[in-house]
Formats: sequence, C-alpha cells, structure tokens
Amino acid sequence: MVPLAATVLAGTVLLTGCGSTQSGGTPDLSVTSSYMPQPVSASLAAGFLTIENKGDAADQLTSVTSDAAASVTMHRTEGGAMEEVDRLTVPAHGRLVFRSGGDHLMFDGLKSKPVEGRTVPVDLHFAKSGDLKVEIPVKPATYTPATGH
Amino acid sequence: MRTRSTKTLATAALLAAAALTLTACGSGDDSGKPVAVVSEEAASHKAATVLDQPFEKPDLVLTDTQGTTYDLRKETAGRPTLIYFGYTHCPDVCPLTMNNLAVAKKALPKAEQDKLRVVFVTTDPDRDTPGELGSWLRGIDPQFIGLTGDFSTIQAGARTLGIAIEPTKKDKNGKLVSVHGTQVVAFSPKTDEGYVVYGEDATVDDYTKDLPKLIEGQNP
Repeated sequence: MVPLAATVLAGTVLLTGCGSTQSGGTPDLSVTSSYMPQPVSASLAAGFLTIENKGDAADQLTSVTSDAAASVTMHRTEGGAMEEVDRLTVPAHGRLVFRSGGDHLMFDGLKSKPVEGRTVPVDLHFAKSGDLKVEIPVKPATYTPATGH
Repeated sequence: MRTRSTKTLATAALLAAAALTLTACGSGDDSGKPVAVVSEEAASHKAATVLDQPFEKPDLVLTDTQGTTYDLRKETAGRPTLIYFGYTHCPDVCPLTMNNLAVAKKALPKAEQDKLRVVFVTTDPDRDTPGELGSWLRGIDPQFIGLTGDFSTIQAGARTLGIAIEPTKKDKNGKLVSVHGTQVVAFSPKTDEGYVVYGEDATVDDYTKDLPKLIEGQNP
C-alpha cells in the first residue's frame, strides 16, 4: 500500500502546482501585437494586445493605467454588449488576447486625440509579475492584425 | 498475484491523478477565457451573405443630425443604402465598422459616392443627441447620415432586420452600457430591399471589393 499512497500524494502535489495561487512556478509575461486604432475623438479609444505567459504559473491582470488617459478599463464584449471586468487571467503557458470584437482596453478622456504613427504609454499591473510598461502604437482606424493594414 | 494487483491499483491511481490534474489545469479559472483565436482566414471566408429572403426597409421616421425629421424609406428610396445600428460611446466595433465603410466609400468614383447612403442609427438615443451624433460622424465621413429618436421605435426597426438591441443600462459600477448591432445591412437601389448582410468581421477590403456591386444592386 505504500507505493499507492505515494502515487496519490504525488498526484495531489501536481494538482496544486497547476493552481494559480500556489507556489511552485512563476509567470513569465511578455506583450506582443499591441495597437490602438486611431479613434474618432480624444474622448474614447480602444486598445488591443496579446499577453503571452511562458511561465509555469498563471497571473492576473488586475488593472491598467496610462498617463495619456483619465482612465483605462478592461472590457469583454459578447453579442454586441460590453461588460467591464475587474481582472483577467493570463493562463500558465497560455495567452490573454485582447482583440477587436472581443476583450478590449477602453481609454476614456485622453489628453489629446491619438493619431496614427504615435504611441500611447500604458502600464499593465499584474497580481504577481508587477508592472509591465507598453508603448501602444496608434494604427489606422481600419487596421486589423489579420491583414496588417 | 499480490504484486500485480498493487501495480494495477497504482496505475489506476496515477490515471485518476492525471485526470484530476488535467481538470484542474483546464478549468483553472473561468475569468480568463484563454485565447480562442479562431482562424479568420479560412478558405471559405466571405464577408457578404446574400439573403434568400430579403428584408423590407424598416419604416423608421427619426431625427437626423441637423435635428430635422428623417423618413428613412422616403429619403433613401432608389438609393443604394447601408444601415448599421450602433452608438458613439462604443470604443471598438462601431467606429471600426463605420471607418471601414468610410474608407471603402472613398475608393468609389465621386458620382457613386454621392449616390450611396450610409445610415448610422443610434442604439443609445439618450446620449446620442443629434449634435453628439453629428460631431462623431463628421469625424468619420461627413456624408454619413446619423439618426436618433425614441428607443422603442429604433428597437422595433432593428428587429425587422433581425438585429436585437437592448436599452442602455447601468453596469455594476454605475457606468452606462449600450448594445450595438452586429450587422451592416445593404439595401438595393433597384428593389429597396435589404438583400446583403455583413457581420462585424467584414474588413475594409471586403467593403472596398463589394461596394461597386452594391451601388448597382448586384450581388457581391
């Protein structure tokens, strides 16, 4: 019976290792594919990016701030309806993708209208990994990552 | 015998542990919804859906960005017309859709640009006054028509095109949240019927390719 107990125990340890709140791994985050479509005005803009996690532990994006905007909030869109969310998970060995028609960052009250060719500074705040700074490039209003223009 | 049965048990336990591990990893968190990056470049990708059963043009009498009464059927009769339901406090899909149409329209010869009617009907009439709507649309294309009015009238009009919208409401943080339609409906200048529908993944290239046909009432 000893080997059996040991196996079960090992299973338990593995299981815990997968959770996002236990020690046993660290997230390893990087940001790619960020862009902001040039907005209609300075009052409102959307931002998109992909957060990749090569680490063994999940992390959570808990807030986003920008010196260029009065507020930045995280939203999920489903069936034409938008819903603000408090936090979003970046799974271990996975990605959190903000994309048009899905999750997006919403910038309210920008100091000036972002124009194509410029960048917008953003700080991403994570539960475990601390802060990541990103300069989001402003693309044409009709830009889509799929076509690249 | 004894060794063997222990082994079997151990294997079973391992399998169970593996299953548990898998489950724990898979559903670790539901708030993240990792990455359903659906391939958008499938071979069959076609933005336009030509309808077997065209829609009648909605009988909407609303207010335009000048504050004057606008009878949709009367004003757009015999004109190629594109209708979209959205709101200006929409950061993502509404401006993207309208900008796609604006950029595609600019690729048309001037005379055809002048024939085309692009109508943006607000789903958020309380915030989208004629003035608000006008300044937003001028930032996209000054020829676009913006309509506002009674929400229930707008909702009923949208419903005749199979577009479901809900009134603006407050979310848990007290912020106003509105709903936009997910389709652009193209009406033929020949029949005044809505005969082609575009989903929100339609790109500026799709519209640029199709607009010359839509202007003539042909199938894209």
